[in-house]
Amino acid sequence: MIKIYTTPECPYCKQAKAFLKSKGLEFEELDISKDETLRKEAEDKSGKRGTPVIDIDGEIVFGFDEEKLNRILK
Amino acid sequence: MIQEYDLAIIGGGVVGLSAAMYCGRLNLKTILIGKEIKGTIAKTHIVENYPGFKKISGEGLSTKILQHAKQYTSKIFKGEVIKISYKKCFIIKTKKTEYHTKTILFTTGSSWKKLNVPGEKEFTNKGVHYCALCDGPLYKNKIVAVVGGGDSAAKEALLLSKYAKKVYILSRSTLKPEPINKIRVKKEKKIQALENIQVKEIKGDKFVQSVLLTKKINNSNELKIDGVFVDVGHVPLSKLAIPIGTKLNKNKEIIINKESQTNLKGVYAAGDVTDTKFKQAITGIGEAVKAVYGIYEYIHNEKVLCSSANEE
Repeated sequence: MIKIYTTPECPYCKQAKAFLKSKGLEFEELDISKDETLRKEAEDKSGKRGTPVIDIDGEIVFGFDEEKLNRILK
Repeated sequence: MIQEYDLAIIGGGVVGLSAAMYCGRLNLKTILIGKEIKGTIAKTHIVENYPGFKKISGEGLSTKILQHAKQYTSKIFKGEVIKISYKKCFIIKTKKTEYHTKTILFTTGSSWKKLNVPGEKEFTNKGVHYCALCDGPLYKNKIVAVVGGGDSAAKEALLLSKYAKKVYILSRSTLKPEPINKIRVKKEKKIQALENIQVKEIKGDKFVQSVLLTKKINNSNELKIDGVFVDVGHVPLSKLAIPIGTKLNKNKEIIINKESQTNLKGVYAAGDVTDTKFKQAITGIGEAVKAVYGIYEYIHNEKVLCSSANEE
């Protein structure tokens, strides 16, 4: 299960979503800009504040790190 | 087999993409390699000074330019060039492969300049940010500060005022945005601009909690905030041009002439990486177009050959 924590206009979120779509992967998108609980959840998972935060079965990727995503998804 | 090109464009922002579009029209065999495609402008909220578009998002404008370039060329790749050398040809090495080319156009742009104060590195992405469009929405009803005094800092502050309950602008000298944005900043009640003030340190626990200032605000040198957005200018990304002998100025910008040529034959540069005074998408694109015409003339008039660099 892939969860991606995003904000609406964040360019790296758009790139990350396009990347996941290009791999044919399904994901759940969570907009953290309007929900304090979700924002906290993303911060707790990544230890950082920013977007996107991508949770792939418990493995966390902060930002659009294509190399790391490729490694995890291999 | 190693691919040979007329031109390699290094850098995938709107300046490089526009060059790629012109190369297609001039039938130059071109490859574009960019660490990022669409570049810095994609991280700009709103662009209001690009002719033909009264108001467009940076993402929207860069997507349109990318699509336009793709109409003329398919050789646009995301990748990192790690080394450039010269042996009969320019040799462009990426992590995965290498390309040979008769000419090079650097459109590598710039990256955000750091404040270089204690706490900045430690709290990067933990309350220290460089892109309000990316991270601004995380500060709904919070207090933030923008450090910087230019037009870009004013625009970042205006964007942040959509989310935060209070936005400080901390400017080292007087605030100098474009007049239109100066009026907007003045009108926005959530923004308080403080001039002739500097950040000495960024403090916090897990995330940023305050900044230490060179002057007292409300009887204290410590200003409580939840996030800091740094906007103190840019650093040119010119490192790749150095080993082949490209001349830089003291700010490490690539020196170009009116035709966007560097000091080296066959090496051109355009956009934010160059020593030109105005760093705007429109001026950078103009430089790129001049470079491409110059490259076309250079290759055809001087009958430049790219004999395989592997042959002795």
